[in-house]
Amino acid sequence: MEKGSKHSAAEGKNAIWSFFASVRLTIVLLIVIAVSSILGTIIPQQEEAQRIMRELPPGLVSTLQSLQLFDMYHSVWFLLMMALLAVNLTVCSVNRFPRTWKIFQAARSGGAVRRFEGDTADRVFTAGGTPVQVAEGLERIIRRKFGKVRRVEERGVITLHGEKGVFSYFGVYVIHFSILVVLAGAIFGSLSGFDGYVNIPEGGTIDTVKLRGGQGTKKLDFTVRCDRFTVEFYDNGMPREFRSDLSFLRDGKVVQEGPLRVNHPIEFGGIRFYQASYGNQPGTALLTVQDGRGAKKLLKISAGDQFELPGRKATVSVLRIEENLMNMGPAVKVGVVSEEGGTAFWVFRHIREIEEANPGITKQVPQFNPGLFKPYLFSLGGIESAYFTGLQVNTDPSVPIVAAGAFLMVAGFMIVFLFSHRRIWVRLEEKDGKSRISIAGRCNRDPVGLSRDMDAIAAGERK
Amino acid sequence: MNTVILNWVTFVYFGAAVFYFIHMLREGEFWGKAATVTAFAGIAAQTIALVVRWVESYRMGIGHIPLSNLYESLIFFAWAVMLLYLIMEWRIKNRSAGTFVTPFAFLLMSYASISPNISGQIQPLIPALQSNWLTSHVITCFMGYASFAIAAGLGFMYLVKGDDGAPQKDPAPFFRRYLPARDALDELIYQCASLGFIFLTLGIITGAVWAHYAWGRYWGWDPKETWSLITWLVYAAMLHSRYVRGWRGKQMAVMALVGLACVLVTYLGVNYLPGLHSYIQS
Repeated sequence: MEKGSKHSAAEGKNAIWSFFASVRLTIVLLIVIAVSSILGTIIPQQEEAQRIMRELPPGLVSTLQSLQLFDMYHSVWFLLMMALLAVNLTVCSVNRFPRTWKIFQAARSGGAVRRFEGDTADRVFTAGGTPVQVAEGLERIIRRKFGKVRRVEERGVITLHGEKGVFSYFGVYVIHFSILVVLAGAIFGSLSGFDGYVNIPEGGTIDTVKLRGGQGTKKLDFTVRCDRFTVEFYDNGMPREFRSDLSFLRDGKVVQEGPLRVNHPIEFGGIRFYQASYGNQPGTALLTVQDGRGAKKLLKISAGDQFELPGRKATVSVLRIEENLMNMGPAVKVGVVSEEGGTAFWVFRHIREIEEANPGITKQVPQFNPGLFKPYLFSLGGIESAYFTGLQVNTDPSVPIVAAGAFLMVAGFMIVFLFSHRRIWVRLEEKDGKSRISIAGRCNRDPVGLSRDMDAIAAGERK
Repeated sequence: MNTVILNWVTFVYFGAAVFYFIHMLREGEFWGKAATVTAFAGIAAQTIALVVRWVESYRMGIGHIPLSNLYESLIFFAWAVMLLYLIMEWRIKNRSAGTFVTPFAFLLMSYASISPNISGQIQPLIPALQSNWLTSHVITCFMGYASFAIAAGLGFMYLVKGDDGAPQKDPAPFFRRYLPARDALDELIYQCASLGFIFLTLGIITGAVWAHYAWGRYWGWDPKETWSLITWLVYAAMLHSRYVRGWRGKQMAVMALVGLACVLVTYLGVNYLPGLHSYIQS
């Protein structure tokens, strides 16, 4: 293979061209990009950066911010390096291509048949029979190994020439082109499509998703309902499956439904939904209110609800529902507003046990007294928690482009590493009624493979 | 059962490493053969253990290929190193690299067996790992890592070898005579690094496809993804350096060692950085 950036056939071309045509530049860029990428794995990026920013001294934060180090993979300087690499790649390839093409053309026209004269032979041996007889068998072997044989006869000397794998020189261009395709796809992807997320409580319906990077929200032209969310566990407690049963609705009618699982996204209306996370949110609580005369009223409430107390002008607001407050079990915080003013207190599910363990606690901490608003007594029957499912929601039109790039890259690697340009020359001269056979071979890589080819030819004749 | 065999394999690899070392000291054919046979016995037993482990997981009702956690990945890493090394030994008909490569496989195996943080138990697959891409992603990545490990071993040999041009008058240290010529080592480093580079590329591509299905993006600058790219860039630089004049040999050897350091950060180091790939998080 051709090497060196120095004789890059850049005569007559300007300095910028030869700067970009240098493989040295490629290596420097690759290493600089690699080293600077390390920074982004140490410094928290994007959302995570927000947290760390508060803890660092402001001077350092502003320095890091001005260098765009909190989102460095999208920073101007990082993209600039990628762009330089792309230009370098393109210029190098364009610069080298004519030479490759020349080699390819030369191989096709068979101009190199006589080149053997100047080269030293790798294998020399004699075989019975005249050169013409021996050449016949050899020709067959070479044809089998190389597909095609060229034969030249001059003053009793027969030269056979086989050549294969010239196209392997083009593999490197395929790889370089594929990288440009992937980069182009990635740029296109970041400019088009969107990347969002949404939490849907069980039974809930959404039509809007939040966009990542604090870029607002996006309204969908359909609605998504989470009918059910389930988590299954193995016997040892490890999670086995996270599943959201989703329904997609248009104009109130279910158009599509199905289970969404990790690794199995659902596509609807050109938008993909992924099972990303889940959580528990205290849903509804069963609250009992007993008035001074002993009359009870059972209420099913959720956070934010308001209701009137029976027999009195007072409004109760459900402020918080906690599944486990301060390790004392389920509790609901209610606020009561009446003519006399407002008060707020916690209603524990296990108030009796809490009082037994801490005698007098409802006196010491009035906020823990469920009878604080006299003459009413509140009690909590229980909390039904509800799951919410966390979905990743996005579209990325660049996927087919990047996939094509990846496919090309693999094809390029196959061409480069599985094939090599091998040439072989076999010269036959008459010597004392026998044939003196010399074999020479050249290859751009894989000398072992070439050596095997030559061995096969030599062995085939000796038989 | 499988972990019992695997613990024994650890000792077998240690034995192979010792025999390769004695072979280097004494250059006797006997010790060389003993080393190869031991290494071969080790990989055969390890292959059986992997199959047994695979079958056992199905018996437990949580059947999956044994490539799902840190323990299994270390075992597979060692297996791949030995496999590629033995193929190389057979192809080049030279045992000298065994002294430098088998200890690495031994270290991987013993880390898996001894470390208190690594459980050898068969665990079920968490939802994120329940994908057809698990097998192809892990196999390609670790075949790549193994090729890079061998390239680094050869790079180390290259640096130990010293100048070929030096006259052989004074008795050269034994390892200088024993090691292959620098040009041959250079070619082998290049071949191993190329092979690793192809596997790493395939590993990154299969990983990207998997990420596309699991997380909704093919690339997200997760620390593991980023470090795999860093590793890829380092080897890309290394392979290109062959086409710049005067960058053969020593630079390649050094890059092979730097490359392996990047591989180890990609594999283990990123567990200490926050990310989706972490083996530590449950």
